[in-house]
Amino acid sequence: MMSILTQQFPADDFALLALVLALPLIGAFVNGVFGKRLGKEGVRLMALSAVGGSFLLSLVVFAAVAGAPVPAEGPGARLTWTAWEWFTVTGRMRTEVSLDVAFSVDALSATMALVVTGVGFLIHLYSTGYMDKDPGYHRFFAYLNLFIFSMMVLILGDNMAVLFVGWEGVGLCSYLLIGFWYEDEAKASAGKKAFITNRIGDFGLLIAMAMLVYYAGTLSWSGLEAGAAGLQETRPIWPLGDLQASALPGFLADWLTPESPIKLQVATMVALALFLGCMGKSAQVPLYVWLPDAMAGPTPVSALIHAATMVTAGVYLVARTSFIFALSPAAMAIVAMTGAVTALLAASIAFAQNDLKKVLAYSTVSQLGFMFIGVGVGAFAAGFFHVITHAFFKGCLFLCAGSVIHAMHVRVHDDDRSQDMRHMGGLKNYMPWTHGTFLVSCLAIAGCPPLAGFWSKDEILYKAATSKVVATNAQVWTPPEWWGQLVYAIGMVAAVGTAFYMFRAYFMTFWGDFRGWKIVKRWKDPGHHHHDEPGKAMKGPAPHESPWSMTLPLAVLASLAAVVGFVYAHPIHIAPLDHFWEPVFRTASATIKPTEGAAAAVWPMLAVGVTAFLVGSGASYLVYVKKGGQPAASFVGAWPRLHRIVYDKWRIDELYQVTIIGMLDALGETAAQVDRLVIDGIIARATALITNLCGTLLRALQTGRVQVYAAAMVVGTALLGWFVLSPHADAAVDDSQLRRTGVLSLQASPGFGYRFMWYVEGEEPPKDFTTEASYRVTLGRCETKRVHLSVQNALGGTDDYSVTQCRETREGCCLPVGQVPKAPPPASSVRLPGLPRGRMLPPGKYDAGVIQQMLQPRGRPPRPAGQNPQGGAQ
Amino acid sequence: MSGLSSLLVALPALVAALVASIVPRQAKLKHRLGMAAVTFFLVYAIFALWPEAATAPAEAAKAAEGAEGEWPYLLDVLIGLPIAGAAAVMFIPRQLLSVVRGFTYGVFALAFVLSLLLLGADMTPGWHFQHIVPWIESAGIRWHIAVDGISLWLVILTTFTTPIAAFVSFGSIRNHIKELCVAFLLLQGAIIGSFVALDLFVFYVFWELMLVPMFLMIGIWGGANKIKAAVKFFLFTMTGSVLMLAAMLYMVWTNHELTGIWSFDFLQLSQIILPGAPGSWSPQTLCFWAFSLAFFIKVPMFPFHTWLPDAHTEAPTGGSVVLAAVMLKLGTYAYLRFSMGMFPAAASHFAPTLAGVAIMGGILYGALVAWKQSDIKRLVAYSSVAHLGFVMLGLFGATAGGMQGAILQMVNHGIATGALFMLVGVIYDRRHTREVGEFGGLAKVMPVYATLFVIVTMASIGVPGTNGFIGEFMVIAGTFVSERLSHFASAHALGAALGVILVAIYMLSMVQKVFFGPLKNPKNKHLNDITPREGLALSPLIIVIFVIGLFPALLLNRMKPAVDAFATQFRTTSEYAVTRANVIAAQRVPPDKFTPGFLSGAPMIGDEKADAADKSRQAATEGADGDKVAAARAGGAQ
Repeated sequence: MMSILTQQFPADDFALLALVLALPLIGAFVNGVFGKRLGKEGVRLMALSAVGGSFLLSLVVFAAVAGAPVPAEGPGARLTWTAWEWFTVTGRMRTEVSLDVAFSVDALSATMALVVTGVGFLIHLYSTGYMDKDPGYHRFFAYLNLFIFSMMVLILGDNMAVLFVGWEGVGLCSYLLIGFWYEDEAKASAGKKAFITNRIGDFGLLIAMAMLVYYAGTLSWSGLEAGAAGLQETRPIWPLGDLQASALPGFLADWLTPESPIKLQVATMVALALFLGCMGKSAQVPLYVWLPDAMAGPTPVSALIHAATMVTAGVYLVARTSFIFALSPAAMAIVAMTGAVTALLAASIAFAQNDLKKVLAYSTVSQLGFMFIGVGVGAFAAGFFHVITHAFFKGCLFLCAGSVIHAMHVRVHDDDRSQDMRHMGGLKNYMPWTHGTFLVSCLAIAGCPPLAGFWSKDEILYKAATSKVVATNAQVWTPPEWWGQLVYAIGMVAAVGTAFYMFRAYFMTFWGDFRGWKIVKRWKDPGHHHHDEPGKAMKGPAPHESPWSMTLPLAVLASLAAVVGFVYAHPIHIAPLDHFWEPVFRTASATIKPTEGAAAAVWPMLAVGVTAFLVGSGASYLVYVKKGGQPAASFVGAWPRLHRIVYDKWRIDELYQVTIIGMLDALGETAAQVDRLVIDGIIARATALITNLCGTLLRALQTGRVQVYAAAMVVGTALLGWFVLSPHADAAVDDSQLRRTGVLSLQASPGFGYRFMWYVEGEEPPKDFTTEASYRVTLGRCETKRVHLSVQNALGGTDDYSVTQCRETREGCCLPVGQVPKAPPPASSVRLPGLPRGRMLPPGKYDAGVIQQMLQPRGRPPRPAGQNPQGGAQ
Repeated sequence: MSGLSSLLVALPALVAALVASIVPRQAKLKHRLGMAAVTFFLVYAIFALWPEAATAPAEAAKAAEGAEGEWPYLLDVLIGLPIAGAAAVMFIPRQLLSVVRGFTYGVFALAFVLSLLLLGADMTPGWHFQHIVPWIESAGIRWHIAVDGISLWLVILTTFTTPIAAFVSFGSIRNHIKELCVAFLLLQGAIIGSFVALDLFVFYVFWELMLVPMFLMIGIWGGANKIKAAVKFFLFTMTGSVLMLAAMLYMVWTNHELTGIWSFDFLQLSQIILPGAPGSWSPQTLCFWAFSLAFFIKVPMFPFHTWLPDAHTEAPTGGSVVLAAVMLKLGTYAYLRFSMGMFPAAASHFAPTLAGVAIMGGILYGALVAWKQSDIKRLVAYSSVAHLGFVMLGLFGATAGGMQGAILQMVNHGIATGALFMLVGVIYDRRHTREVGEFGGLAKVMPVYATLFVIVTMASIGVPGTNGFIGEFMVIAGTFVSERLSHFASAHALGAALGVILVAIYMLSMVQKVFFGPLKNPKNKHLNDITPREGLALSPLIIVIFVIGLFPALLLNRMKPAVDAFATQFRTTSEYAVTRANVIAAQRVPPDKFTPGFLSGAPMIGDEKADAADKSRQAATEGADGDKVAAARAGGAQ
């Protein structure tokens, strides 16, 4: 079996990937274009078979990757398939960087592909039940299939540009699916918000790609991994351009132009730009705000896109480019701290939410924070393993929430109310499957041993406390020792919080009494379109368990969430997945070193992790079961304003609204007004006005009265006559021979009855005027002469003209008396031959080495030795 | 190619055509056939144009050889056919509406098919389909037209979009159809003429000729303020043109002083370095600005863009499509061809500043202003300002990749913005308003229309997979690596990439206000969805969006040799011109600074003529070993 596979699909032409990708795309096209004609059955069949087929093929791909030989050195096995040549861009020194539509799969992407298609299939199956009554059935499945396709492009892309296709593709699908019920203004807005926030991240990704094109000369994963070492160099980032102190006003000069240029490691810049993309897609502080709003989409979408797969793309990208991140301790420190802050902030918000999906949404943000802690401290495998466990337990939790909402929809049709946990309760008696799977997943996310979440979260936090990123270059900044400890501490607090708010949600939803409506046996639907207030006043049937198409995925996901931890259980030395992934992170782990005493800390830290789970869940049990929520209510009563602000998500959205969005809005408004009034006013209206004005003035002269014309004619003739009758001395000077022979020829302008008198200043003028109109004078080298010309016309009037000329030599000896010697061309800059324009050196002495350095591309002109940097400003 | 293998190539196209024909749920047979034909043609084109491997050495050998087997009158026909067609339409009685329309379609179809012959040539650097005929010999004016990799796709874009624009216009315009046909045909002829003219006089003639039909289109079939908009459009463009004419005459005169011959030939004039260091007030700087201003107004670049929104809002849909898709490209194309070709030193001196203007005034400012427009067409017009900022940035950066991206982006903008204007026209035909506030929730009643609109919006935003992304990314990457922009390159790239965020903001805000939310306005409750006819008009553009997005190499491979050669030449000539800057005297750039083939067809002067004649005689005696460049040049000149 295996040999047929390798024979049919060699490692460098692994065309099986085409099939994996094509199936969901065909599904999307067929459902999107022909869906209405196919009917529900057809759409269901198409969607499920497309994703199911893709899943089966992914299994084969996984087997092929697992079976491929792993080289002892360098990255592991990679099966590639180049579809076609896409385009080329220009790189450094005019090289060509070709970007192909190429796909590849290695241990990391094979695992991720399996999760995406597997969880994707289960959620497709679930959706056939959940969306059964929706009029946009075919549209929904078209989008969902398109999403699976885009996600697979993201995972399987062999270079960053192809990844970016998938990256934006999933963003687009997310936009379409959040706003699936577009008639609701708020939902459509949530989609737009998601897209635009993600675009901020995409901006970072675009910049990162441009930098990699320049500094690494390739965007393919294997090329980047091989050339990552080239990113260690440092580059000046400030002052920008050839900004000189002299070009700025004094008070700014000191402030804006530092002694030596501020430099940054290229790897740091690239990694931070990449991480900006990840912040957008994976909802990290400060770009997390779109994800909670994204829950406006149908619940299966929340499960698939906004919990299990798409939002983890950022973690995938960091893991994929781990060899870049690992070069920069600064970037890693920022990633880890961002993750920690996000984990804590989102967990704190989740405490106060009453909407079940909102709790899960903030929980997702928080868990994504944990993943970034993992990849940020160099535990790439552990961080990525959390992606997988999270896909199972959070996917399951969301689907359970969907199942609950489905049940609530029998009597409560309003979205907000049907998701409000205050109207639920006691559901464990009515929905056993949903309850059981929710409980398992809840235990998993809270970190109860030996479920999946326990192993992955524990490994992340253990690594946070016990590993450090070693700088490859002494100049680069490395975080202090306590940085990792701080990340660990924050992560641990967030872990306690996770256990608490998850069990709060669990108890509020499934324990106690049902608070949605009064359950009446043999209840009959009085008819639709009634919006009664949920509560005991309303009557309804017992909440029902969902159909098998919905509970089956729950069961599968919950069992996976329970057992999958054992493929990555380091403390008990069972970690086949880590061995499978090890070659992928081989390059990156070169700079990740454990701190002293790391091995001894395994079990104590495990104990701390278990304690965190016990404390969090125990407290939750105490508050919401034993005391029936009384302590929480009294807490709210004691600090109403604190509760209010946490409930309002710390009002971060409002803060953005008044700062960034408000500023941009004002800027746009100003620009529009400026365009209308100033630009158009000056260029179009003002010129039109001036033209109009001239026309009006000139029209006033064209009165049509003969007398006015006659008077103008008389005045005009008189002026013309006066001009003609007075002499005008002028001469054309021909100095073309001056420099060579010293002869200067002059030719007087002719006129009516003109006679001329020529003489050189200092010499005796001739006695009388002659008819000689031309004149020659000879100058010695460096001699200056002033030639005078007097003109007399027939009426005897005279006019004078004179011209001064000097015979110039090569050295430039002409310095006319009374004239300031012309300054030589300012020595402010010396142009180096072979340098492009604009690359100037300030005057001064230079070492030969400096000149060499200048010839490198992108160098900033160094300051000459011994020169005061502020010299220019004085 | 045997019959079987050609059938095999056609098979995917046939399948695609079959699928396309069943895509619309209810449509007449002729519209289904139309969709099938469009799809068949475009899919077949992908296979036909697919780059074949391992032709590189042969190409290099051919590069110097000039163009053999190219029919020299092809471009004359491409220009002449629509213009002659315009004249012919005048003689058809206006009562025979279908004959008038049918004839126009026929001419367009023929022109389009003929323009595809251009793709048959191997697009090596240098001129192709060159045709030179002396015209006004006393002034050295020659009918000199040729196409190269830079103008190739713009010519095809013209023959591709103009028929679509005409098709759309016949759907919504009911009066003066005959005159409309004349205007469209004349417009196409003039635009193609300006894209292929290599004699400045000929270029100027077509550049001005183009204004007339567009002026009429806005003025006759336009909206409420049509006269004002038409005059504004005309005056703005004319102002630039007059400056350009003055500079052109100065250059011709300088050329005469230097070489003793009168010539308006672009190849001749690009060999002159006008006096003056770049950056000082000198003839070189002034002439550069005179030419460039004319082009910047046409692009339009900030702050000369205010004619565009007015012209677009008042123009009929078909006029807007041609204006956006093709006419604006003349500004960017002409800057690349003429400003950068004739004033390399000045163009590279001002590049960082101009790039700043393109980013701040175009990409960012244009986007901000677009965001605040309430008229959809105005919004799209301002988005053009932002998109063309990208194109200009690619040209200012002057890297090979960036310029390819810029040219590709010219085509992309033509496709995406053309499609957007057509979509806006669809809703305008139904509601006779374009105010965003009048709409909302249209996705409910017009789902297909909404889908198409979102697809085109995504292309405009530059989502990868659509055409917009390729051009944008090539420009941003090209900017980042640009030596021309020196230290500011990274800042410029950063600024340009910020535009990517803003474009999403304004396009999606508009889409949301028009299509999503509740359907409040009762006037919109019973709008018809897009008709098959409108769908047919849009289908080629929609398909091309994806074709370029996925297979940009089809276009890039044909422009790449020419653009690479031009980038090299621009670098050498600008460096030469800068080092030789002379305040007083004009100079000539030695011919070896130009890429081989560039000067083929330039008028000969004095000893050069004798030289070339010598060489060609030599070549004739020595057989094929002679200097082929010289031979080609001599051949071109005779």
